[in-house]
Amino acid sequence: MSTTRREFIKTVGAAIATSQIPPDPAAMDTLALTPPLAPPQSTAKRKVIYDQDNSGPFGTDILGTLMMLQADNIDLLGITLVTGDAWMKQELAYTLRLLEMMGRTEIPVYPGAEFPMLNTKEEWQLRQQLYGGHRLDPWMGAFNRPNGGPDEIKPLPSPYDRLAGLKAQQEHAARFIIKTVRANPGQVTIYAGGPLTNLALAMGLAPDIVTMVHEVVIMGTGFHVFTNAFNIFFDPESARKVLRAGWPKCSIVTVDIAEEIHEGDEFAPGRRMIEEIAARAQSPISDLFQLHAVDPLRRNPNMHFFRMADEMIAAQVIDPSVFTKSEEMYVDICTTPGPRYGDSMFWPKNWQAVPDAGKSVSAADRRVFVDPRQFYLGPPPSAGLVNVLQEIDHVRFKKLFVDLMTKPIRKA
Amino acid sequence: MQTSSGLLAHSAMFSPALQTPSAPGAKKKLIYDQDHRGPLSTDTVATLMLLQADNIDLLGICTVSCDMWAKQETAYALRLLEIMGRPEIPVFMGAQDPLLNTKAEAQMRYQMFGSRSFGNEGYLGCFAKDAPGRNEVTPLPPPYNRFAQIKAQPEPAADFIIRTIRANPNEVTMYCGGPMTNLALAVMLAPDIVPITREVIFMGGGIHHSTSSVNVYFDAEAAKIGFRAPWPKFTLVTTDLAEQVHMQDDGKVDDIVERAHSPIADLFREYEQKPQRANPQRRSFRMPDEMMAAHVIDPSIFAGYDEMYIDIVTHNDGHYGDTSFWDANWKDQAGELAGQNNPSITAGRVQVLNGIDKKRFRELFTELMTRRIK
Repeated sequence: MSTTRREFIKTVGAAIATSQIPPDPAAMDTLALTPPLAPPQSTAKRKVIYDQDNSGPFGTDILGTLMMLQADNIDLLGITLVTGDAWMKQELAYTLRLLEMMGRTEIPVYPGAEFPMLNTKEEWQLRQQLYGGHRLDPWMGAFNRPNGGPDEIKPLPSPYDRLAGLKAQQEHAARFIIKTVRANPGQVTIYAGGPLTNLALAMGLAPDIVTMVHEVVIMGTGFHVFTNAFNIFFDPESARKVLRAGWPKCSIVTVDIAEEIHEGDEFAPGRRMIEEIAARAQSPISDLFQLHAVDPLRRNPNMHFFRMADEMIAAQVIDPSVFTKSEEMYVDICTTPGPRYGDSMFWPKNWQAVPDAGKSVSAADRRVFVDPRQFYLGPPPSAGLVNVLQEIDHVRFKKLFVDLMTKPIRKA
Repeated sequence: MQTSSGLLAHSAMFSPALQTPSAPGAKKKLIYDQDHRGPLSTDTVATLMLLQADNIDLLGICTVSCDMWAKQETAYALRLLEIMGRPEIPVFMGAQDPLLNTKAEAQMRYQMFGSRSFGNEGYLGCFAKDAPGRNEVTPLPPPYNRFAQIKAQPEPAADFIIRTIRANPNEVTMYCGGPMTNLALAVMLAPDIVPITREVIFMGGGIHHSTSSVNVYFDAEAAKIGFRAPWPKFTLVTTDLAEQVHMQDDGKVDDIVERAHSPIADLFREYEQKPQRANPQRRSFRMPDEMMAAHVIDPSIFAGYDEMYIDIVTHNDGHYGDTSFWDANWKDQAGELAGQNNPSITAGRVQVLNGIDKKRFRELFTELMTRRIK
């Protein structure tokens, strides 16, 4: 416990000290209302803020990053980091060096939240003892037992090899998000690949940005594989705030859809995506796949590859037509600190029409469910309406991924 | 419970050695964060006290939704500064919504679990059923009469708090007279401000009178963040203490209406004396925010404090925002439960004011209200 409270104080604070939020014209006049919805974005490059718990050296976070760096139709306005899979400062080290290796040092990187809104490592461990561990998704990211503190920066392995000369921006991620959304009303897509702490902070400081964002794409929660995924249960309070916000569009990649495709899957019969990429990509992408996917698999043929969660968020931003079915649904997150802390529940948008579904109730069930209209099937107050991605074209998704990884390294 | 021992040592471990904040006789630097309900309330009266006190350097006023929505409160705060002739004090509009709580849920919790029954703490401020909307700003009655010419600053309150504490290390006192939403945002964005804040003073929660009050249960998550941060000093006015003094006691109101200058006399005549005379059964409110102001202006009025731990329930149920208290010296307690009454893992250490010299409080209060307008 003592470590955490000391950690609480020793933070990037001083480094991100002096930045300021540009004036919010609405706050100048206490009578002003929320600014009207901005016009839809043009067909030009898609402006993206990339918010990520960018845990290196390899994995879904890094691969999502590489996809965004490689896509020609993306204008990457900045990368914002948040503690999640790793501590924020360690992620910062990987991100800066990755940009150097990729020759993309023009992209600004912003340090974000180092701690979730309320959750702590100590409570998490006690909850696991009291209620049992999360058997289906035991990953605790920065809160994993052997992980050091928020200030520890471990050396970066090959092909990173050393810390970057490139430096992070001084401004806090939340302030960068506010400033950028206000400067580009209706145009900015926010890729949220980690816990939603930075976004919750930005909303708390500047609720006016919600209606000015083009789209938020989020990874987390699910229906079937499990209802509680790391990015949500690491900071359930922030997730609840962000998912309820009422963005013009908020798309969710659930665990269910992400589990359909894994990084170790085949690209062509007998040939895995990782092998294809390691063989055909340019350096440093080829090195990353060779050293951190192909070689480890050779040493351990039973190696488990992770689902392609963040890569699917990237696909929704780069080419949403890869997804062939989606549905608007209400979602809410449980923030009661019990065994279901961080759990999600979903309700159909048109729940009032659901009694029609009673037509398909079997004759046997009809004896029990006399009239489905007797049930309340709707969401709780304040639940958020989101766009749940439900089906993905596997062939096209894999092709998009492999193409982006193997095309020539995109120049600044 | 090994995990708690580190928590208990917190202030010694996490604060750098406190420097003497300022030369003797220097003014106390204050950020005044308030859910500024107009036209007259415990919030507004505390504002008047701090505007009138000679030893206070009021760096800025921050507003936060609770008693009213932040926009309406900001309108009242700006115009109050104008009619008090203090337009130089900057006003920052803060959080318009709690971190998570919503009106719909607050209402539904009451339906399901009942309202808070203890001590009439069912009050929901701007979440009340018939309260105006979030963006509605209704006209200001006399003696405000109209909206202010001066405007709120463009900066969000949380950013002003961060900037000001960093620019004045170990010197700034944070007065939190509303929910701690602005403070919680500031702590999340910049945890480094915690050890360099001189003192936080907050009103809310209680041990006997009621286990919570609106400033806590309006935004329980923010309260949890505010309480558990290891501030060098966190002073708490509980409902227990605040209930010891009410505005109508000791003929204060008549005294002030008689002797005060305009606009203070007008405010007390219109919003305390007249309603009191019209309805002698009227029970005026306790004086929590005035007590916080008194503590900032002259802490010697208070008898002392109990060192305690406090934590907040954030379960989305009938206990949302409830407080729990533990003695800080739980390890030294005698008896068969010795050493077993440990605080929760997320508890924060606070100094709970435990007594007030009512006579001196009345003197200080009426003197500030009746002296010449600064």
